[in-house]
Amino acid sequence: MAALTLSGLTKRYGGTSQAALHRLDLSIASGSLTALLGPSGSGKTTTMKLIAGLIAPDAGDIRLGGRSIRDLAPERRGVAMVFQNPLLFPHLTVAGNVGFGLRMRGLPADRIASSVALMLSRVRLTGLGDRRPGQLSGGQQQRTALARALILRPDVLLLDEPLSNLDPSLRDEMRQLIRELHSETGITTLVVTHDQTEAVALADHVALLLDGRLAQAGPPETFYQRPATQAVARFFGGVNFIPGTARAGVFDSALGPLRLPAGIAEGAGLLTIRPEALRFGPGPNPLIARVEGVTFLGTQSRIDLLAGGVRLQALTDPDAASDLVRGSDVAVTLPPQALWVLPSAP
Amino acid sequence: MTDRRHILLLLAPALIVLGGLFLTGLGLTLLRSFRYFPALGLTQPDLAAYAAILTTPGFLKSLALSLWIAATSTLIAAALALGAALVLRQTFPGRAFVSFLVQLNLTIPHIVGAIGILYLFSQSGSFARLAYAAGLISGPQDFPALTQDPFAIGIILLYVWKELPFITLILLANLQTLGEDHEAVARSLGASRWQTFRHVLLPMLMPGLASASGLVFAFAFGAYEVPLVLGAYSPKALPVLAWQAWTDTDLATRPEAMAMAVVIALIGLLLLALVARTLNRGERDAR
Amino acid sequence: MHADRLRLLAAFALALWMILPTIPLVVWSVARGWRYPDLLPQGWSLKAWSFALSGKSGVLESLALTTGIASAVTVLAALIGVPAGRALGLYRFRGKGLVTLFLLAPAVLPGIAIAFGLHGVFLRLGLAGTVTGVMLAHLIPVLPYMTLVMAAVFSRFDPDIEAQARLLGATPWQTFRCVTLPAILPGLMTAALFAFLVSWSQYVLTLAIGGGRVQTLPLVLFSFAGAGRNDITAAIALLYILPGLAVLILTARQVTGRGAALSGGLRQWPR
Repeated sequence: MAALTLSGLTKRYGGTSQAALHRLDLSIASGSLTALLGPSGSGKTTTMKLIAGLIAPDAGDIRLGGRSIRDLAPERRGVAMVFQNPLLFPHLTVAGNVGFGLRMRGLPADRIASSVALMLSRVRLTGLGDRRPGQLSGGQQQRTALARALILRPDVLLLDEPLSNLDPSLRDEMRQLIRELHSETGITTLVVTHDQTEAVALADHVALLLDGRLAQAGPPETFYQRPATQAVARFFGGVNFIPGTARAGVFDSALGPLRLPAGIAEGAGLLTIRPEALRFGPGPNPLIARVEGVTFLGTQSRIDLLAGGVRLQALTDPDAASDLVRGSDVAVTLPPQALWVLPSAP
Repeated sequence: MTDRRHILLLLAPALIVLGGLFLTGLGLTLLRSFRYFPALGLTQPDLAAYAAILTTPGFLKSLALSLWIAATSTLIAAALALGAALVLRQTFPGRAFVSFLVQLNLTIPHIVGAIGILYLFSQSGSFARLAYAAGLISGPQDFPALTQDPFAIGIILLYVWKELPFITLILLANLQTLGEDHEAVARSLGASRWQTFRHVLLPMLMPGLASASGLVFAFAFGAYEVPLVLGAYSPKALPVLAWQAWTDTDLATRPEAMAMAVVIALIGLLLLALVARTLNRGERDAR
Repeated sequence: MHADRLRLLAAFALALWMILPTIPLVVWSVARGWRYPDLLPQGWSLKAWSFALSGKSGVLESLALTTGIASAVTVLAALIGVPAGRALGLYRFRGKGLVTLFLLAPAVLPGIAIAFGLHGVFLRLGLAGTVTGVMLAHLIPVLPYMTLVMAAVFSRFDPDIEAQARLLGATPWQTFRCVTLPAILPGLMTAALFAFLVSWSQYVLTLAIGGGRVQTLPLVLFSFAGAGRNDITAAIALLYILPGLAVLILTARQVTGRGAALSGGLRQWPR
């Protein structure tokens, strides 16, 4: 097992002035399950291909367990990659696909066969070894691809959007399987995804890329509680941003003075609170707001509010929303422990 | 109107025209090869024509020569085409120009190419002149017989020239459909460049390569005008021998010509079955 | 960078091999006296060209005839092949594999295997030795190609767009003219241009069915080649390449884009 360290990693594609990836510094702890998160075009797939050695960086280094793998051929890095599309070899059986890497290493056939059988049982494909890839369901194909990579016991496993090609009903199962295999094998695993709920549900560490730069890295909850920038907050569903100034534990804005939790830097900034953290009724940091709209969303309702000329959005359970009438005034509280101040947008 | 009738209606003209021309042509060839020709008083079908051609050494030699021509040209063209497709798949300065030449070659009639090869490789052709100028030979007879020669080298050269682009373009189209991701997976699973080619790319290209080679083999085996220009007087390629028998003033050789045509058709059908099988398998795997 | 150099070298060799056989044709066509072992002709002359293009040689006549036959065969093949291609490309039905195989067979089987028998049939029908007979014979290798390319084109065509047009008030004919035809036109053009070339290149079927009375360009080329007139032969051979060159330039967009229509069709490329 080994830690993966990216330093100053930069990649430009031919002819473009904007870098697909700009001076990325990222440490991925040995044995961790990390999600590399970002919208399309943020550079996450580029990062993955750089780690796998499918493309070469313009600058920077990639170190695995203290040793640079930047100039190694893909097959010599100890990095296995599972693509978004399972990309099974159509001319080989399922067992042939899973055993491919071992065959390339020149292992004897009987040892390959026993490893393959073991691996197939781990991904719950026992008995399907003789099938052709075309005869498998989408989920089975994805599991075959996973087994094909894991059988090599790589130092690092890269998974590119492993859930996005699956039916919603199969996603939970696959997510479960990935977590299970990760805890069994302890292989340093990096999952690329564009879906923040998937990243949070799957990984114990998240790195968010925006426009080819690292926006924030840390445990999943920090992205909700302490986003580094407004862009990060927005990517995680943040909608309430109130300009003002923090001073002596109090935030002054159009909403009046609001009490802040401890440890917030002083100065001008953007107050943010997650829509689900707003409370209706009396409490600390009270406000009176006008209900501008109520939208039923199924398991939740969205309440659009206007307070002191500031638009706010709250998410609450539909029962609580049922007595809110459009155009009426309502008491709202902003619990101090749910408040966070972002640096002012430049 | 039901779908079934609709489909039948759409297919009918093609099936009738092709069936009418192709099956009657093939059918009459078959009848005549069994020496059934009422107008000439032949009403008892027999196998005499087949017996006659199988016992003539000329026929067997011609059959062997045509198989040799087809096999050798197909093998060389396929191997070179594989290399050419791998080269043309990458970008490099001048790729568009080389691709253009490869495509242009596809449109040039075989007979034009055959004449070009003749002017290049004959004993008084361009290369013979170059050899003379370089002092390598002292006369036409010193230059190796590369055209109208017993080993059909000129014919094989023509087919390698003409069929290489055909196979290359099919392989390039296949390569484009396949993309490069499977190779990337193989590399990330520890396969070297060579292993990736040998165990991933080549097997995936095989259906296309095999069916293209089947078509090339069928053509090289059955073409008439190429061995007519570039072939030796003896042995003749099978189609040339068949044509000669067909146009012989002695009408008795006609059934033999028909029997040879049947042999050519049978080998063609065999290749058709092979092509159909590889194409089917390729489609099944891709699913 | 060693691999790059090797690739360039291979590409250069390939390009050279592709144009090599046309070099002596170009030189011969403008040569005045080119005896062995001279590397270059004694002089240059356009006599071969002016003879080939004069009325005396019969080349122009033959050029018109060959063009006419190839054009007519292409139109016929399109009229028959487009519906058949639609059936194969849009529908799944029992026996489809067999039908495809039957339509592919005439393209794979050597022309000489059918030519003798077909001549016998045409003799009875009074078609032997006629231009009509030759055109019908050319349909054998041309039609499979047209049909299979159009099948590939139609397999990527969504017939729902026709239903949409009908629901917007278009008659079947209007639907075909304004919706279907524009959608399949690029593929149809490619198929037609290459169908033209397949007919244009025919030799053995023309010779067998036409019995020498239908003198298309390859037959004229052959008679000059047999007469040992290398200069005139070369000029005619180069004339014979021209339509192919024109077709290639016309379809350049589709060809360089390596449209799947072509790739699908190339699989079944008949000669």
